[in-house]
Amino acid sequence: MSIPLDSSGPLMKDYASTQACTWCDACGDYGIWTAIKRALVELKIHPWQALLCFDVGCHGNMADKIGGYRFHGLHGRVIPFATGAKIANNKLPVIAVGGDGASFSEGVGHLVHAIRSNYPIVFILHNNANYGLTTGQASALTPKGQKMNVSPNGIPERTLPSMDFVFSLEPTFVARGFSGDIPQLTQILKTAIAHRGFAFVDVLQSCPTYNHFATHDFLLERCFDANKEGHDPKDLAKARQLATDTSKRIATGILYQNEDVPNFCEELVPRQGKATQLTEEVRCIDPSIFYEDFI
Amino acid sequence: MPRVSLKIVGASGQGINSIGEILAKGLKRSGYCVFGYREYPSLIKGGHASYQLDISHEEIGSTERSVDILVTLNHHGLQKNLGDLKEGGVIIHAVQGWEFSEEEKKTLRERRVRVIFLPVEAILEKLKAKAILGNVLISAFVWAILGREKDSLKTLVGERFKKKPQLLDLNMRCIEEGFGFLDPAGPASVSLPLPQDRWKECLLITGSQALGLGAFAAGVRFFAGYPMTPSTPLLTFMADMQNKTGIAIKQAEDEITAAQMVSGAMYAGTRAFTTTSGGGFDLMSETVSMNGIIENPVVFVVAQRPGPGTGLPTWTAQADLLMTVYTAHGEFPRAVIGVSGSADAFALFAEAFNLAEEYQIPVIVLTDKQLMEGLYTQEPFDASTVSIRRGALVTDTAALKKLSSTDRYDPSMKDGISPRWLPGSEAQTFCAQADEHAPDGSTCESAEGARLQIAKRLCKGDALKAALPEPELIGSIDPEILLVGWGSAKTAIADVLRDERFRGKDIGYLHYSYLWPLKTDTFAKFAKSAKKVVLIEGNAQGQLGKLLRQESGVEIRDKILKFDGRPFFYDELIDLLSPFVAAS
Repeated sequence: MSIPLDSSGPLMKDYASTQACTWCDACGDYGIWTAIKRALVELKIHPWQALLCFDVGCHGNMADKIGGYRFHGLHGRVIPFATGAKIANNKLPVIAVGGDGASFSEGVGHLVHAIRSNYPIVFILHNNANYGLTTGQASALTPKGQKMNVSPNGIPERTLPSMDFVFSLEPTFVARGFSGDIPQLTQILKTAIAHRGFAFVDVLQSCPTYNHFATHDFLLERCFDANKEGHDPKDLAKARQLATDTSKRIATGILYQNEDVPNFCEELVPRQGKATQLTEEVRCIDPSIFYEDFI
Repeated sequence: MPRVSLKIVGASGQGINSIGEILAKGLKRSGYCVFGYREYPSLIKGGHASYQLDISHEEIGSTERSVDILVTLNHHGLQKNLGDLKEGGVIIHAVQGWEFSEEEKKTLRERRVRVIFLPVEAILEKLKAKAILGNVLISAFVWAILGREKDSLKTLVGERFKKKPQLLDLNMRCIEEGFGFLDPAGPASVSLPLPQDRWKECLLITGSQALGLGAFAAGVRFFAGYPMTPSTPLLTFMADMQNKTGIAIKQAEDEITAAQMVSGAMYAGTRAFTTTSGGGFDLMSETVSMNGIIENPVVFVVAQRPGPGTGLPTWTAQADLLMTVYTAHGEFPRAVIGVSGSADAFALFAEAFNLAEEYQIPVIVLTDKQLMEGLYTQEPFDASTVSIRRGALVTDTAALKKLSSTDRYDPSMKDGISPRWLPGSEAQTFCAQADEHAPDGSTCESAEGARLQIAKRLCKGDALKAALPEPELIGSIDPEILLVGWGSAKTAIADVLRDERFRGKDIGYLHYSYLWPLKTDTFAKFAKSAKKVVLIEGNAQGQLGKLLRQESGVEIRDKILKFDGRPFFYDELIDLLSPFVAAS
């Protein structure tokens, strides 16, 4: 892998921002941030061609630390906004980014329907198993019993089995990355961006300030590249098993991919065979062509 | 004003709507202005529902409480609706062996109400026709009573069954039977005023359909929605039109999704909207605020029904004005537009998209159950009156190249309106940022930066207010009695002002279409010169009155407020207004 030096595509500096990063030292967001930029550069997607949508949380503070058309909206709601933009203009590569707090609590309904609908967007889950920006409360993915801000006695709820949940919804793309492995995450994101439908990319990341249970070193020791060990992303049963069983080692890589399922936009009957985007079709339709029903 | 009212009652699902639609279309084609009004409870089948047509040779946009003809498909109508009949009215029913009580008989006699039993079941049995054909049979009988021609009904029914030719013959025989039926007490008739050609080529259209046609004329290409009465007919219409128009439709998983998707689609550069009712809009309010700060154009239709809570799901209200003006946190500009009938459902809705794009703001279009399901006789819309204005949207290649990221939220622009350009445009990029931001959309928490951006956005509201038209004055140009209102009450008020008891009186009706920002100069001027000012609203608090007082300092003391889920009825409004007219 090399950073392209020819002028045929964008360079890493084209995605650079003059804004200073505000994440804590050793935050996993730095790795994900870099991998997103690398993936776009290697796919030769210019900043003006990309739409990056951010939820609210520490990851959302990436919105002004990166190039590209961006959107930074409400907590938990990034998926439907990103989807609306994609439906309007299928030509845009659309990446939606959210945290585990928003995506598995307030916005979980959107995730369910995004997988079900197979929207042609990438969803990157910044998974640090807590609400970082609001100072370290438990998320639905925090291990049960863990003492967190607002849970001095340890959280009473059971942990939501996120990967089992995602696989139960019949996804067409599931990958897991680790913020400490930027080259692998770059490859995952490149494949995700090129995927036909909804690409769910779970990125395990360190939160040095609030996550003292799944630290960078903890993840580094356990993560392994399942594809390198021969896992075939077409093998659904194996993919689900790899994704859900993290008791000893944590499988990363492209765990599952199915390109046979049409995405939401392809399923829309009125849009079949249309050469233009909805964004290019804003013009008056004379109502008189419909009057037959009303006369 | 000579008008005839015809009410069809029965259980929901029994076919009252199809009788109403057949008769409405036939009457319109014969040269009458028709206004259709539905009442029904919140259930699928059963209950007691009605479809009323009010008919005139003059313009009509209201419903009378008392009717000339009552058609009842079951015995409930014979129990519940006897009091609805005008003196000399006609009841047509299909209930074999029905006996009124002695008291009821006496009332009917005193009020000279004619009761006709139409043996629908027996006739259908004779024809070996299914129960659903009873609708055509009944329509035919009513058609005969109204003195209309058999052939015109045959043509109409023929069109309805164009796709089911196997049923056509049986339908025609039902029409023959309906026309041929003779009541043992002799022929009955209800006379209509002389028809006028001007109505024949008009459209017969619901408010929802008019809104939908307005959306298509405005260039809408995406619609996302979640069902909620009484906004659902618009959702249905948009979905039904998707194959004809090629638009994308999404039935979202909830209202927040619908609002966010539409916001994303507008941000990407198409035109889109969502529709809901009060409760659904509550859920969308955070998204309204978000669009306020990212300066994204977005359009919401709010079809009102009485709340709070689930309230009265299938009934009407004008009680969400203050909600739409004040909902959503933070200070930012918005427009609230109230539509009153099919004409401005088309025209004002199309304009809503222009305001949204020109000022880069959320626009809320307020309608109600009365408008969404009301059936209007409408002159064909003139598409040439619709313009598509996209404001400061930059699409030209050369102009895009000159843009800098900091142009997006440049606070120094005139009226606070800065250039907007779309993802995918070859230009410097920016962040549509819901955090307070610098001109390029980067997060900015400085005191000066925050003040500049908040002021920039509010400045757009001032510019919008200056650009909006003053409210419309109907009737006297310098009225002694000034009526003030908004929304669907307009067509009822206009009907009343045309009534002979009010015609020629010095009355004017000031109608507000643009409810926020609120222009008050015209109101203040006429309120000062009028002897009497009367507020007419379908809510309990006089919400427009509160806004008018807030914005102009002028309080309207006389109020006609209705908050029972029903619209203003024609005869009711005459009764309510008469004391003011008599006193002047």
